[in-house]
Amino acid sequence: MVTVTFITADGREQVAEIDEGISLMEGAVGNGIDGIEAECGGNCYCGTCRVYVEPDWQAVVGGQGEFETPVIETTGDENPNVRLSCQIAVTDKLDGLVVRLPENQT
Amino acid sequence: MNATAASCPVHEGRDDRKSARLAAENLKPHEGSRVVGTFGAAREILRSPKVRQAGATAEMVDLSKPNEISFFFLDGDLHRRRRAAVAGLFAPKTIVTRHHAVMNRTMDAIVAKLQKQGSAPLDELSWQMAVDVAADIVGLTNSDSNENLANRVKAVLDSSIERKPGLLNNLIFTIKSVFRVGKFWKHDLLPAIEARRIEPKDDVISYMVKENYSKKGMIMECLSYGGAGMMTTREFIVMCAWHMFEKPELRERFLTGSEEDQFAILEEILRLEPVASLLHRRAEEKVEGAQGGEMAEGEVVCVNLREANTDEAITGPCPYELDPDRAKRMKVVGPYLSFGDGPHRCPGAQVALHETRIFLDRMFRLPGIRLMSEPEVIWNPQIQGYELRGAVVACDPA
Repeated sequence: MVTVTFITADGREQVAEIDEGISLMEGAVGNGIDGIEAECGGNCYCGTCRVYVEPDWQAVVGGQGEFETPVIETTGDENPNVRLSCQIAVTDKLDGLVVRLPENQT
Repeated sequence: MNATAASCPVHEGRDDRKSARLAAENLKPHEGSRVVGTFGAAREILRSPKVRQAGATAEMVDLSKPNEISFFFLDGDLHRRRRAAVAGLFAPKTIVTRHHAVMNRTMDAIVAKLQKQGSAPLDELSWQMAVDVAADIVGLTNSDSNENLANRVKAVLDSSIERKPGLLNNLIFTIKSVFRVGKFWKHDLLPAIEARRIEPKDDVISYMVKENYSKKGMIMECLSYGGAGMMTTREFIVMCAWHMFEKPELRERFLTGSEEDQFAILEEILRLEPVASLLHRRAEEKVEGAQGGEMAEGEVVCVNLREANTDEAITGPCPYELDPDRAKRMKVVGPYLSFGDGPHRCPGAQVALHETRIFLDRMFRLPGIRLMSEPEVIWNPQIQGYELRGAVVACDPA
């Protein structure tokens, strides 16, 4: 199990224990994390599972994928740390990861 | 119905579905395909990068000319690139900032017509909404009328779906197709292309003009986006309306609830009444599965969305009961697999939900709104889905 902390826009911390091998989005939804909508079910089409990766973790998590960037652009979210959580695979290297959530996902 | 569902401990096997019986009698998986009906296995297969579209129509598509076929039949990077290029048109933000205006404008016209006439066939009203929205997104906005556009799109799709094997049938199909596609090209697509060459807009046709799509490629893409958006949403709106006319407490919850709650209601109805019921996939290579989604190389499976959506492993007890709180309680994405899943998940899913929500919210607030006659559930063997015809709604005059 990998421990991930999600911090809402108003500073509330939510900690989730997530299985390796699934996406961060699936782990968040499975743990009832508020603030992740994932309207397209994790297929990189809707941009409603956005998270902001804390600077310390960016090298481990990696940058946006080729098909991720246009979807993020359509949301108008210009935060430089933004990723789609459906495109982040959970591995043991992410144990202790901290991500922040946008104020809303639309 | 499986044994556990039949003995539902909460409501004694309550079954709220309206299309299930007809579907059970008529569903025809593609010959030689293995039916998969558990949610976990179905999702695993649909999400696998090792599977390809299959089924009668997909098997006849010439994949050697990707620029002449719709994105619907493509896979891999080319498919994702094409979808990503127009993803913005279907993004939640675009739906709110742009498509809501079209939906509200259309609804103004629908309300005015209904109040003036006193009554109208519900599927004609829902068809008007579905056509207006799809036409705007695709860019089919230079036709003589949206009603004529919709009829021409439907005619082309009908001739394609009716295609049967054999030399004579091929000849008939070709003659019909050439004639119907020609009309669509002349009256709808060509005027739209010419207008966008002069002044590009933010729609699918402008993108295709910019990318120099061939004439055939443009026709195929427009028919895929337009056809899917128009024909399925028409039925979904009527189905949701029917459920809410029949259940006053559900209608009341819809009218007093937040948008989030309204969507939860619509998604739960869609879980029980998916417009498309079967999806076929062929394994390009062996597919490994942790939840039963294994496939041998070359094997074709038929994913039964109705069965997967009522798999108690993911729905909890009473899978046939309409329970808008279910998805949240079970921590599942609301519509389950009704919009498909994986790379080919319906790109217009959110658009369909929004236009349905706006349509029903406005209609159910009309003074004196009532259902004069219930729809008849008809099975469309070509698309393996239901159609709802004959519902008439009435309201007080303005």
